[in-house]
Amino acid sequence: MGKTKIKIDYSVCGDGNKIDPRECAICMKVCEPALFLLHQSLEKFENDNHYDPQIWRITPVYLSLCTHCMNCVEGCPEKAITVSW
Amino acid sequence: MCDHCLKHGTAGKWYLNARNYTTEVLDDINIDEDFLKEFLLEQYKTFESMQVRKLAGFSAVGLGYKIKIPIIGRITKYFAEKMLHSEKSKFNPFQAEGHIGQVVPLDDAIAILENCVDENTIIMKYCMCRFQTRAEKEACCINFGIMSDIIDKLPRFIPEPEDSKYRLTKEEAIEKFTEFNQKGYIGTIWYGAYPYINNLCACKTPECAGFGPRLNFGIKSIFMAEYLVENNPDNCQGCKRCITMCQFGAINFNEDTKRSEIDHSKCYGCGVCVYACRFDALSIIDRQVIPTLAGKY
Ligand code: SF4
Ligand code: SF4
Ligand code: SF4
Ligand code: SF4
Ligand code: SF4
Repeated sequence: MGKTKIKIDYSVCGDGNKIDPRECAICMKVCEPALFLLHQSLEKFENDNHYDPQIWRITPVYLSLCTHCMNCVEGCPEKAITVSW
Repeated sequence: MCDHCLKHGTAGKWYLNARNYTTEVLDDINIDEDFLKEFLLEQYKTFESMQVRKLAGFSAVGLGYKIKIPIIGRITKYFAEKMLHSEKSKFNPFQAEGHIGQVVPLDDAIAILENCVDENTIIMKYCMCRFQTRAEKEACCINFGIMSDIIDKLPRFIPEPEDSKYRLTKEEAIEKFTEFNQKGYIGTIWYGAYPYINNLCACKTPECAGFGPRLNFGIKSIFMAEYLVENNPDNCQGCKRCITMCQFGAINFNEDTKRSEIDHSKCYGCGVCVYACRFDALSIIDRQVIPTLAGKY
């Protein structure tokens, strides 16, 4: 089995876009191994370790724990998650 | 007895040495209180992003795969353990440096609260791990010492008024912790940062970032308790309640004897099962009495 890849469409969810993941968080709650991490987005600020306390996103961290149950893909109201392997 | 106890313990346990809860220990590593306050404030402001920040080119993203790559795997593991066990005084607030902990059963947690902690500094804050993995706010992290001076600058960790009051007396803290233990949460005591102790947590797996690396990838991010649990088959009624409560899969059901059996190699010694058993069949024993597991934390 290949490595799991999980992609979140940040143009829809997180980074200050349409959905604030702190409010939705469905994917985080339905993932049995709890591999999604909710954190302040560092994208624009990576170099100097700055961040905006109000801008959050979700990163799938422990990819190898994914059971391919597809709960997150099916549960996401914005169809913003893809899981492949 | 682990290295930490030899160096920092009284009565054999590093976390029962009251000095490790005072800022006096900071002299040992030549830093002062203000420095540690700044460090903790920076760290907590952006706590959740620690795992996605890169350290020496690595972050925790995809860690399970990295560890399987022969050489990279060993290097990743080496760096992760080195950072968590760090004893140096120049911290990077963006990594969990010197943030290592150990499982403590209820009695030791009570002893900590009774004998080691300064009553005027006990606070209870939201668990970061449950928030960062489930977006849930649950107040179950008991902190003390310096944390009580900086918590007001970290309003998002302060429980909402309807949830609970967040400055606790010793009695209230003991009562809360006992409640957590009965719910099945694992007691853990943490350096933050080494050699200063400031966290008594009530953890849940798989959410807890402290247990994750160890349970999933064998990185020693947390030590097992000084204890193990033993089953008295004469009392055990085979009700399996303990099996449901154990978060480590350390209890098996023996179909022949219709009794539960503890797998000592997996037991973290959290004691959760002891309080779950209604038939007084389980008891906590010192890890040292089982020769093959003595010293295996
Ligand atoms: S497919 Fe299942 S296990 Fe994998 S990330 Fe989604 S919810 Fe989690
Ligand atoms: S379920 Fe979809 S929209 Fe909701 S937080 Fe997860 S990725 Fe964002
Ligand atoms: S260590 Fe335990 S209680 Fe503390 S923040 Fe993590 S899960 Fe929560
Ligand atoms: S809870 Fe007690 S009585 Fe029930 S199976 Fe476990 S040890 Fe036996
Ligand atoms: S068997 Fe060990 S790890 Fe499991 S609940 Fe009991 S003490 Fe904790």
